[in-house]
Amino acid sequence: MDAVQLDNVSKTYAIGESQLRALDGVSLTVAQGEFTAIVGPSGSGKTTMLQLMGCLDRPDGGRVQVEGRDVTDLGPDARADLRRDRIGFVFQFFALVPVLDAFENVELPLLLAGIPEAERRSRVDELLEAVGLSDRAHHRPDQLSGGEQQRVAVARALAPRPVLVLADEPTANLDTANGRRIMEIMQGLNQRTGTAFVFATHDPRVVAFATRVVEMRDGKVVGERAGQGASPTGSPT
Amino acid sequence: MSSAEAPEIRGGLAFGPLWRIARRDLGRNRRRSLLSMLAVALGLALLIAFNGLINGVMDDMRDNTIRYDTGHLQLRRPDYDADSLSLRGSELVDDLDARLARLRAMDGVRVASPVLWIRGLMTGAEESVDLRLIGIDPESELHAPFRDALAAGDFLSADDRDGVLIGRRLAEKMGLAPGDKAPLAVVDAEGKLDEGLFTVRGVFDTGLIVYDESVALMSLSKAQAFGQARGRASAIVLLLDRADDAARLAATLDEPGLRALSWLDLNELLGYYLGTVKRFYWLLDAIVMLVVAVVIANTLLMAVFERIREVGILAALGMRGRQILQLFMLEALALGLLGCAVGIGLGLAGVAWLQTVGIDFGEEAMSGAGNLAMGSVMHGRIDLLQVLLLTLWTLAVIGLASLYPAWFAARMEPVDALRQT
Ligand SMILES: Nc1ncnc2c1ncn2[C@@H]1O[C@H](COP(=O)(O)OP(=O)(O)OP(=O)(O)O)[C@@H](O)[C@H]1O
Ligand SMILES: [Mg+2]
Repeated sequence: MDAVQLDNVSKTYAIGESQLRALDGVSLTVAQGEFTAIVGPSGSGKTTMLQLMGCLDRPDGGRVQVEGRDVTDLGPDARADLRRDRIGFVFQFFALVPVLDAFENVELPLLLAGIPEAERRSRVDELLEAVGLSDRAHHRPDQLSGGEQQRVAVARALAPRPVLVLADEPTANLDTANGRRIMEIMQGLNQRTGTAFVFATHDPRVVAFATRVVEMRDGKVVGERAGQGASPTGSPT
Repeated sequence: MSSAEAPEIRGGLAFGPLWRIARRDLGRNRRRSLLSMLAVALGLALLIAFNGLINGVMDDMRDNTIRYDTGHLQLRRPDYDADSLSLRGSELVDDLDARLARLRAMDGVRVASPVLWIRGLMTGAEESVDLRLIGIDPESELHAPFRDALAAGDFLSADDRDGVLIGRRLAEKMGLAPGDKAPLAVVDAEGKLDEGLFTVRGVFDTGLIVYDESVALMSLSKAQAFGQARGRASAIVLLLDRADDAARLAATLDEPGLRALSWLDLNELLGYYLGTVKRFYWLLDAIVMLVVAVVIANTLLMAVFERIREVGILAALGMRGRQILQLFMLEALALGLLGCAVGIGLGLAGVAWLQTVGIDFGEEAMSGAGNLAMGSVMHGRIDLLQVLLLTLWTLAVIGLASLYPAWFAARMEPVDALRQT
């Protein structure tokens, strides 16, 4: 089954009197287990598209389906529940809850989903291990480096076992080594869990990890190609 | 699929996790949290102390009026005109001895004593003063408060034919001391002006201007003779074992030609006045609560604006609007509860201090009290139900004040919240 499907989706922002067409009839399907990069110049609509895929916003036209279910007309609560259970987010800024430590941040979506304590504990431990932060579990965000914070964010996105993780320029605020580390971790989790990842980026080194590359311009999908699917060691498969 | 494993929770997020976030958020800006907590505490403490003071003042006023003036229960003629202190025979109680004997035999009646009120005038070298002359049975326990308040000279004796007791302020005004002669005038039952020269036996100091300045006591028999109302009294005043019995006993005492009035009936004017005063203080209460509300709303609005992006993150993670609302309300409520706890402590301490020590406003300030039985030292009284109500009101006001900021955070679109930097 497809993780997410956009059908002729458009989104227009009103800026004062004028209208800005951020997305213009985009159709795109992301299958389960994909590792897809969205590329394109600044302002081409990458962020807007990720927000619509993630049910953070509603399109003006077209349909959005998550796991085959039409979610276009869902109300705010139903969209919140859908995000909680099926979609993970990683943002460019390290979007952790500042008052919660690493463990608690990863645990939060599980608490929201009502997962029992023992199950939560084992999932969080496992994910912190997977992102290499077991020894930082009880550090607060301000006691973690940017790279570490972003790894916590990745762990948190994966915690509810979503079908789809959306990452908007996840490496943009990181140095090369840390950016690479994040990509390797995401790739590893993608391969191990089968969760689909869609990430927007400007960085060719990040694009190199993708198995599929979607190119956007002026709110439209203008091209698509198979990616290199760089292996964790950096060499193409 | 994991959506099958994850139970749908339609209700709010369990209290624990929300509370964990809320508590730590409060700890984040400690000074601001502390200040708003203190604002709540001081606001509530002020309300409690203030209302406690009013309780005490009103109690004192009521007790003083009962002690020095009305007693618990009075028997009067139905047509007695209390405003003019009428001496007309048809408006006065007669057959005193038989009635007193009957009343004194009743269960629950501690004291029964006749009094005669006469409008009078004390003429001095420079000025004349309007007075209320009260003819009393000097032996009766009813007048123990005046006896206890004696500041100079002696109390009246039973067969005193020309002695009067006057209050300290009147004595000072007229330059009188025990042993001095005091000229008094009354309009008697027949409408004639009668004058007489009395001897000041003693001077009482009740601390209540209304008595100390404009009351003179003399023996009942002398008053009856002076006012041409022999064998009669304006009222028979009763003290009961229990003040609460007054209304019940009043109902059983009604007999043809006499009317029983409880202290509640007799203090109708006082009650009306107290009601007005209370409404005025409600206004003050409301103002204090408004200030508390503004502080809390402000704190929370600042917290919300500071954390708009965090709200976006929480929304992206799947927190529903209602849960975000709960989160912020919880923070406000935590501040409120803590502030209320401190406020109750401070407020009760304040009232306790008032209760034992009191505030002396000085006599000059009290001359504005007019004919209210209000002393210059004000005491407080703790009313736990009132404290509870004030606390609940404060919490409710805090809840209402936090509603807007919390709602503002909750209804934001996640995208809008996330865009904020
Ligand atoms: N809330 C908004 N109001 C108005 N215009 C917006 C809003 N959000 C996005 N836009 C506009 O929509 C267009 C697409 O924006 P979007 O953020 O999707 O681009 P992007 O491809 O993510 O760019 P970047 O690479 O710079 O992040 C841009 O022209 C942007 O200015
Ligand atoms: Mg973008």
